[in-house]
Amino acid sequence: MEHQHIGTRNPRVDALDKVTGRAIYAADLNQPGMLHGSILRSTRPHARIRHIETSRARSLPGVKAVVTGMDAPDVRYTMHYIFDQRLLARNKVRYIGEPVAAVAAVDPAVAEEALELIEVDYEDLPAVFDPLEAMKPDAPVIHEDLARYPAKFAAVKYGNVCSYTQIHRGDVEEGLRRADLVVENTFTTARIHQAYIEPHACLANVDSSGRVTVWTTSQAPFKARNAVCQTLQLPMSKVRVIATEVGGGFGGKESLLDGIAALLSLHAGRPVKMVLSRWEEFVAGRPRQPTRITLRTGAKKDGTLTAVKAQYVYDSGAYADQSPGTTAYGATFAKGPYRVDNVHVDAYCVYTNNVISGACRGYGGPPQCWATESQMDIIADELGMDPFELRLINGVNEGDQLTTGQVCRNVSMKATLRAAAERAGWQEKRKANAPYRGIGLACHERGFGLFSSGVVIKLNEDGTYSLLSGAVEIGTGAKTVLSQIAAEELGVGVESISVIMADTDATPYDYGSVASRTTYTSGNAIRLAAADVRRQLFELAAGKLEVGPAELELRAGVVSVRLAPEQSVPVAALAGEAIRRWGGPIIGRGSYLAEGTPLEPGTVSGYPMGPFPGLVYNTQVAEVEVDPATGQVRVLKLYCAQDVGKAINQAGVEGQVYGGLAQGLGFAVMENLISQDGRVVNPTFLDYKIPTAVDVPQAEMILVEVPDDKGPYGAKGIGEALVGPTAPAIANAIFHATGARIRDLPITAERVLLALQTKGK
Amino acid sequence: MKRLIHLHVNGESREVAVSPDQLLVDVLRDDLALTGTKKGCGTGDCGACTVLLGGRPVPSCLVLAVDVSGQDVLTIEGLATNGVLHPLQQAFIDHWAIQCGFCTPGMILSAVALLGRNPCPSEEEVRQAIAGNLCRCTGYAQIVEAIMCVANAPCAAPRD
Ligand code: FES
Ligand code: FES
Repeated sequence: MEHQHIGTRNPRVDALDKVTGRAIYAADLNQPGMLHGSILRSTRPHARIRHIETSRARSLPGVKAVVTGMDAPDVRYTMHYIFDQRLLARNKVRYIGEPVAAVAAVDPAVAEEALELIEVDYEDLPAVFDPLEAMKPDAPVIHEDLARYPAKFAAVKYGNVCSYTQIHRGDVEEGLRRADLVVENTFTTARIHQAYIEPHACLANVDSSGRVTVWTTSQAPFKARNAVCQTLQLPMSKVRVIATEVGGGFGGKESLLDGIAALLSLHAGRPVKMVLSRWEEFVAGRPRQPTRITLRTGAKKDGTLTAVKAQYVYDSGAYADQSPGTTAYGATFAKGPYRVDNVHVDAYCVYTNNVISGACRGYGGPPQCWATESQMDIIADELGMDPFELRLINGVNEGDQLTTGQVCRNVSMKATLRAAAERAGWQEKRKANAPYRGIGLACHERGFGLFSSGVVIKLNEDGTYSLLSGAVEIGTGAKTVLSQIAAEELGVGVESISVIMADTDATPYDYGSVASRTTYTSGNAIRLAAADVRRQLFELAAGKLEVGPAELELRAGVVSVRLAPEQSVPVAALAGEAIRRWGGPIIGRGSYLAEGTPLEPGTVSGYPMGPFPGLVYNTQVAEVEVDPATGQVRVLKLYCAQDVGKAINQAGVEGQVYGGLAQGLGFAVMENLISQDGRVVNPTFLDYKIPTAVDVPQAEMILVEVPDDKGPYGAKGIGEALVGPTAPAIANAIFHATGARIRDLPITAERVLLALQTKGK
Repeated sequence: MKRLIHLHVNGESREVAVSPDQLLVDVLRDDLALTGTKKGCGTGDCGACTVLLGGRPVPSCLVLAVDVSGQDVLTIEGLATNGVLHPLQQAFIDHWAIQCGFCTPGMILSAVALLGRNPCPSEEEVRQAIAGNLCRCTGYAQIVEAIMCVANAPCAAPRD
């Protein structure tokens, strides 16, 4: 079928506002009488709060509200898995940076001054920062009431382990016994900040009837509303959350401030704006968990994998937040995109007195990919095989299964593997023996398309349309892609679609622009809503044209008889007719929730997720040069063969790929949010370095399109898939260049030097 | 104590009362409602707040407003003339050099400054010129492409 608007390079519909400075982000908002809110944060990693004295702060001129945990309803809430968190600390703090009190004042300087006047009387408690230490029976207990916390899934929790997930298939011990080679390695990854350039910000206002409105930079306004409703104990009819432009999210922007701003506004009776400082972002955001993964893998002489036994330990930080999910997510893919019949994974998500971990582009996947794909090359080396061949032998095919029993559909693993290797010139470069130059590759498998989305399409009186979607434009181009899909389905130009997004009162429910889901789920919802519009148009036109509705088609703003196109009626005329004489305005409705093939009983326990609607694959190749004197690694080139199912917007896909590779590079060689005794020691962009324009190597994208059978036009969700394979591809290239194996991220010059000195020992 | 200063912003003369410790970025955003200048760190590390001071790119979060009294300040709002986009703005649109857009104003202004002093930069020079402007979304590829495209337009004659 020929498409008008699919597979194009349609310009971004929001581009003009963004290049002229007119796009409005949350921190740009102002309202009459607006106050500025600020948060007092815990200075202790683990302490009992004996008393908070706020009287001096309250009496400072210009201060309009001071709130502590005692001013909020006595509830523990969660946006994700385990109800363990409070809006503001009560009785106890569990990490440095935890919100303890908040102030609203006439300007930011007064608010800051007021914070200094609040006295908190702490009684320090023993703290624990290393998840392995925290798992020991005599470790300080971070959540005494963990056993009593409700959870949204059948969580297995004890001590400081807030979620223990097991994933199991076949007989792992037997599989290891049958192996000719058994390799065991432990891999670690660092704490990674999403490092969106826009800090969190919001503006909350409570009107005289007690209705709260929050304008916020959130990837998921419906989750944000849920958080405000839980923490302030308000019905959803009393809370409206509107997402502004979002200056990047990458999983880290759901709702950090909204409830606190709303509470301040309730107390002050005025609008309250809050903007986080970059320091607060680093000490009290929701970075990716540091992880420790041990893999014990069995292989036959010919390379066939026989078993994978894994232990996953993810540092959840002081509260569970997303971590039970990220841990289980990583564990789900512990065997990698390979056929392995005997798998056993013990995955521990562990509380510590570190900053709360969250979701960061790729969820638990990048640490998993780091471990699996490093291990694959170690095995290849032991067996004297080409790493490409080893992956080809074991790679999953259509109809194979995940460890959970989910059947893999629309599989493109080997397609991406071959495409990347071919473009990179794998065979020649692998053999070329330039000193200290190497080439490595890594593959990745990911789920996408979870949760539901709703869409409403309204036909305007003049034949144009308004599309109401609860999804958010976080930078990915969602607004453009959704416009393209609506235009395609309704037979009009993209400019005839006006898109209203992310307003919990005005737009239908959407889980959020997270988890590589928007193109897939909202895209499908649009197709359903457009079909609903077409059905109504055809019904109306059928009467006028005196044919059956099934004989009609919609094109270029006109409904016509398929076999006699000269018999037609413009949509604009039908819109007017509907309003005046037919049945009222034409409104289409689409709701979408995809299902994956079910999990097999007995494969999981303590598992917080379900099957994935779709799976997507990519392969990356890295070329590196290592300076043996300094350990410095230069990444010369990255190749990425990414399956996208179908590129709705080619330029948008390129943006996702290049941006993802840069984040993969940061994860690989630069980024590490270092915490010492619970205190983040590098909370600035000067010390937490992310890739700049001179750090990113040349990158080449190879587009692979293996359509998804349920995706709109075959599209798959790709946003998160990019970040995983970069690091192992680089480490594998370093090994090829030098014979030195790096097992810990980030790959710093020191680590490379050490590995060079100790290799073979 | 506030002091009255004259700022020449985007070709207009503006009078503002500022305190001696007020930063240019805050005066632009809060007092002059020029919110196109973004604030990503406040410590001079991200480049989102970049404006042009007499044609030179500076992080406006490190500049005291009182110190630029009388100087020419160009923010993103002043770049298009009579509703016509600057070629770099157009190129950013054409090349999808924008995602979330938060780095975009600063990024474009750094590129404007580069092409002002070096109309035919190499790719390396382009990358150097925007190295102080962090972008977490794009991986810079399409940004560099957009800038190179504008740079190459007047450089069509072969260079040696
Ligand atoms: S806000 Fe000025 S450099 Fe980041
Ligand atoms: S486009 Fe988001 S930071 Fe550059």
